[in-house]
Amino acid sequence: MEQIISVSGVYKSYQKEQAIKDLNFSTKEGEIVGLLGPNGCGKTTTVRLLNGVIAAEQGKIEVFGLDPKEAGDKIRLLSGVLTESAGLYPNLSGKANLEFFYELYGVEQKERIDNLLKDFGLWEHKDKKVGSYSTGMKKRLGIAKALLHSPRLLFLDEPTNGLDPEGARDLLEYIARLNEEKGVTVLICTHILTHIETLCDRFLFMADGTVIEEGTLSQIEAKYLKEFLIEIETDITEYALSSDLREELVESNSNKLIFKVKRKEHIPDLLKALLELGPVYTSRILGRDLETMYFKIREAKK
Amino acid sequence: MNRRAIHAIAKKDLWSITSNVQIFLPIIIVPLILLVLLPAGLLIAARYFDLSQTTNMEPILNMFAQLPEGSLKVTLDSFGDVNKQMIFLFINYFFAPLFLLVPIMAASLVAANSFAGEKERRTLESLLFAPVDIFSLFFGKVLAAFILAMALAIGGFVLFGLVVNVLAYPLFNQLIFPEPNWWVLIFFVSPALSFLTILFNIFVSAKVKGFQEANQMSVFIVLPIIGLVLSQVTGALFLDSLVLWIIGLVALLVALIVLWRMLKHFDRNKLFESQIF
Repeated sequence: MEQIISVSGVYKSYQKEQAIKDLNFSTKEGEIVGLLGPNGCGKTTTVRLLNGVIAAEQGKIEVFGLDPKEAGDKIRLLSGVLTESAGLYPNLSGKANLEFFYELYGVEQKERIDNLLKDFGLWEHKDKKVGSYSTGMKKRLGIAKALLHSPRLLFLDEPTNGLDPEGARDLLEYIARLNEEKGVTVLICTHILTHIETLCDRFLFMADGTVIEEGTLSQIEAKYLKEFLIEIETDITEYALSSDLREELVESNSNKLIFKVKRKEHIPDLLKALLELGPVYTSRILGRDLETMYFKIREAKK
Repeated sequence: MNRRAIHAIAKKDLWSITSNVQIFLPIIIVPLILLVLLPAGLLIAARYFDLSQTTNMEPILNMFAQLPEGSLKVTLDSFGDVNKQMIFLFINYFFAPLFLLVPIMAASLVAANSFAGEKERRTLESLLFAPVDIFSLFFGKVLAAFILAMALAIGGFVLFGLVVNVLAYPLFNQLIFPEPNWWVLIFFVSPALSFLTILFNIFVSAKVKGFQEANQMSVFIVLPIIGLVLSQVTGALFLDSLVLWIIGLVALLVALIVLWRMLKHFDRNKLFESQIF
């Protein structure tokens, strides 16, 4: 896969405050990457630097092999951005907003606006002023705006903020489909980690203006999960366990046993031993979700 | 330059202004007062009162005496009545600087709303994220303000002409408006001063944080026009065609210098950092 974003040794400050320091990462074409971190860690600044709307003081940035400082317009033509505030004109209708950005982005497919309004469930509301839209509707229109010119790279800043669970699910499904069918590369900045856990191929964890960790969820898990808690749904009681198994048991309650093992490779042996004692209905590793990983990384990098 | 983007920005800005009562109302009210109510009041009053007998008219009467020989003097002498002469002078000369306030106020309000208004609506960020060069964004905004200012100038001129000629005809039995200086005023001074006002206000608008702040700064443009009004009334300056050509040329020259400096220093990154953070 071709490298689409490459950032090395980038620094950026605003009014003497260091927003970005020694930022390094890269993204390949077709990836969905989650950019995670607390407020003020530099996620939005990173998106702005990549689009050339602000300039780095030091370091090298390449997007589609182009320098955002020199070829910002070319990069912006190939990428779509959803900003946190959606950036829509409240006194224009939803359709008029899209028509305006259609002209700015030089789009040539007349049916594009209508299709996007339908795709995002806004067709019925297309003639209403955006000022009267709900937060979720504004967010959906903002994403439709970002997709108007069929970008190859999509930057989404808090895309599910303000969306109800169904809206968030529909949007994430749309992004996944867009990535799968059109090969669009996506960079998502968000706080709602549960929303993107299964969507993203890879995650970049930021703190204090730099990437402190990166990788797939399993790579991060291998690095930060030092012991595994396995929850077993079973009829086996604590008393039926052998002394070896009892040593690994950390919790027992109705129909559920929780064991702690040091290595992932021990899990099959544990399950085999349990199956010899009785039925096992389900088993799952606890504490391996993105949110837990996020806090483990934050703790480790303190 | 991206002509499609310039057109889209100008169209969107014009729509935003005309649908915003806070901005559009003063743009409409000022010409109605200056170019309809004021001349109508003056002409109706002139039918019943002798204006030359009104107090504080001495400087104006002195000006008559000092007028150089020429077509204006001939025209004024042909009326043979000081009251008519004063109406003629008021309409064709004293109203000229007042008239200039119309396009300048419109240009100033629209231009002040340009970047500062986008910032207030939190739309500037998405505008700067568009693949449009900063000069096209800038010229789109200039074009919107210029179109509106000139539409008001020409519309105001036609309206003023209609009101004046309809109300003055019973007194003069002829059309008294416009004198040749108005053609210079409409087609040279108004565009030049509007252009300068727009550039100044867009420059300010790109620096300040909100529309109100940007609009307050526009007083720097309006003040010299008030000065012109006073200079006319006191007889210090007579706005004939030559003076208007000079004013227009100075305005155009200053505007071109401002434009040259703005094009040199207008920068997407600077604009983004000064407005978004």
